[in-house]
Amino acid sequence: MAVCIAVIAKENYPLYIRSVPVQNELKFHYTVHTSLDVVEEKISAVGKAMADQRELYLGLLYPTEDYKVYGYVTNSKVKFVIVADSSNTSLRDNEIRSMFRKLHNSFTDVMCNPFYNPGDTIQSKAFDSMVSAMMVQAS
Amino acid sequence: MAQCVQSVQEFIQDSFVPMVAVLCSEDAEKVTRKNNLNFSELLRPFCRLTSEGHMRDPSNQLQVVKNLRISVNNVVTRPSVPSSGVPGHAHRRLLSEVVLTCQPAEGGVANVITAGDYDLNISATTPWFEAYRESFLQSMPASDHEFLNHYLACLLVVSSSEAVPVEKFLKLSQEQHRIQHSGEYTNPKWFIPNTLKYYVLLHDMSQGDEQRADSVYEDMKQRYGAQGCYLLKVNSRTAAAGADEQIPDPWSQYLHKSSLQSQVQLGPRLSVPSIYLLMYRTSEVDGHDSEEKGSLDNTHPLQLDTPSDTPGSLDALRAVAVETKPPPLTTGVAAATSHGACLTLNDHDRIRLFIQEFTFRGLLPHIEKNIRQLNDQLVSRKGLSRSLFSATKKWFGGGKVPEKSIAELKNTSGLLYPPEAPELQIRKMADLCFLVQLYDLAYSCYHTAKKDFLSDQAMLYAAGALEMAAVSAFLQVGAPRPYPAHYMDTAIQTYRDVSKNMVLAERCALLSAEVLKSQAKYSDAATLLIKMTSEDSDLRSALLLEQAAHCFINMRNPMVRKFAFHMILAGHRFSKAGQKRHALRCYCQAMQVYKGKGWSLAEDHINFTIGRQSFTLRQPENAVTAFRHILTNDSQQTSTQQGAFLREYLYVYKDTYFHDVD
Repeated sequence: MAVCIAVIAKENYPLYIRSVPVQNELKFHYTVHTSLDVVEEKISAVGKAMADQRELYLGLLYPTEDYKVYGYVTNSKVKFVIVADSSNTSLRDNEIRSMFRKLHNSFTDVMCNPFYNPGDTIQSKAFDSMVSAMMVQAS
Repeated sequence: MAQCVQSVQEFIQDSFVPMVAVLCSEDAEKVTRKNNLNFSELLRPFCRLTSEGHMRDPSNQLQVVKNLRISVNNVVTRPSVPSSGVPGHAHRRLLSEVVLTCQPAEGGVANVITAGDYDLNISATTPWFEAYRESFLQSMPASDHEFLNHYLACLLVVSSSEAVPVEKFLKLSQEQHRIQHSGEYTNPKWFIPNTLKYYVLLHDMSQGDEQRADSVYEDMKQRYGAQGCYLLKVNSRTAAAGADEQIPDPWSQYLHKSSLQSQVQLGPRLSVPSIYLLMYRTSEVDGHDSEEKGSLDNTHPLQLDTPSDTPGSLDALRAVAVETKPPPLTTGVAAATSHGACLTLNDHDRIRLFIQEFTFRGLLPHIEKNIRQLNDQLVSRKGLSRSLFSATKKWFGGGKVPEKSIAELKNTSGLLYPPEAPELQIRKMADLCFLVQLYDLAYSCYHTAKKDFLSDQAMLYAAGALEMAAVSAFLQVGAPRPYPAHYMDTAIQTYRDVSKNMVLAERCALLSAEVLKSQAKYSDAATLLIKMTSEDSDLRSALLLEQAAHCFINMRNPMVRKFAFHMILAGHRFSKAGQKRHALRCYCQAMQVYKGKGWSLAEDHINFTIGRQSFTLRQPENAVTAFRHILTNDSQQTSTQQGAFLREYLYVYKDTYFHDVD
């Protein structure tokens, strides 16, 4: 279960950030922002060699003491970042991948909405509900 | 890490220098006091040797010693810093003073770094970190497991105006012997049982009989040998000499530092009348707590105050505005006094020559002799006992444990070797070699010592040997082996976990980070620095975080956001440590990265903190601008949070623009 999910545009500003424990939101913002560095490093590293075969799922970006940060890049350079609790060790790679896939599908749905301007923050209720389903239940 | 003034080699070599003690007689003190200096201070600017020395290593090869520096100190029998791993209160205050007084120049040199789509305007050098590092390394206490800080030689100084100088010399010599061998004093520590004694006859040219001085000197030469004594003539300037001759004053920079270190007072006359022992730290330092309690309490770095806290913080802001700033710490020596007023340029040259003579004729041969002696001891002992020991181990296997190790293995962390133990001899030899730049020999000795210590489970000693082995491997000319970073990591870990000695661990970390930076391994250096940050010392954590941030920005693909994040953490620690201006500077630099990028929560937080800090530092216009930024964005904060922001803004605005009305 994720504690924070973020969607970041090509120009590196956030389109959507949601985190569960609302009081510590700032910390997650900072974590996501910093993880962008690692994302960029991974993209640039792979890009030169095989430009077509680049994998979308980037895997574990970096572990901090309490959290693990995972990344995923679409072909239009939109990035998804999931921050998950480290104590929850039952999260396997496949589960994270499926979470990203669901995110990606919902995101494409949002894009398909003719009233949505690319570059705006995401305010779709469907997207919201999908994300809530993935997050840890607030206790 | 930011670029430093010294290169890596210079820095490491300057951190470990041969130490020389000084014992002065009263009259000699009076002579130097005319210049507002004591004897060791007189020598200090000339301690870096400009010419090269030569010495032979045990295999009789000639080695060149370049750019040697020695460190001359008075004999201080009071322990200045407790030798436990925790720095004392006075020590911490000294370090924070050093950092406080070293601020970036207004409008100083700034680099524009372009990384991706970020254009950052930051300075590439951090002089306050270098100042901190220097005073930290200088004030490290001498410990038992390593010999680098121990005194190698002692200068005995007597004035030529004494009635019977020879007798005085004898007395001083006995005094030194007593201090070293009587076992009453744990400080200072001496390297070898027979310390080199060098006799200096100090002659005051402005008063005193030159003929007599020369004849006494001849006598001394007969007695102690031409290599063991020196006639130093000072104070050639007569009082009436023209004031238009500009004599350079190299002492002021050294004295400024040492007056921060010691509230210099001439100690009371002891029962032994011929010796002045300067007290380096008075027990009660009159003065004020330089750690002001800032208006930011212990908050999490990323926390914004909830509305319940803000009335308190507003009061705190008001309190700060009302109280006057504490007066700056007055140093013991006023800056206006001049130093070296009685010395001409000739005298400067003479002092320089004296130090050169002392080092090349006295100190280096002494070291060489000792290295040779220790080497002989080791070779002979190694041959015999090694084979016996390993033979007995082989025959008796795991059943019988040899007697020797039971006696020594009391307790892994508290293991103490007797001073004549062969392992310590190896360590001594390695330290001697290191001090005179024989790095190959030093490395092999450290390596052997490390193996011994590890097999004996003497972890503190092993960590010391590992640390120095890594450094000497790095400094070896020709670099036959790559820098063993894992040695350093093990050493740091041992210091922290087993011996709980944060001071030594910090020294390791500083050395290792510098080396990694010179090899362009910035991410390793950054990880190392971040690991060293801890809760017990705010100033240290702040400085290390800032250096880690600079590492990130200096990488080949600069990690700009990591730089910004660590700058914010560093800024928070700075403000907790009471260094407000540094904190403000850090936050402003981080702001450049976050500005206008759409991460509104983060931006708000930084603006808020900048506003607060500017206000406490009496820069109200900046504070108002910063707060206004928060209010003009489409804030995504909660309503209570927005209310809090508005309140702060109104308070600051009122204070700035309507100050006269109140």
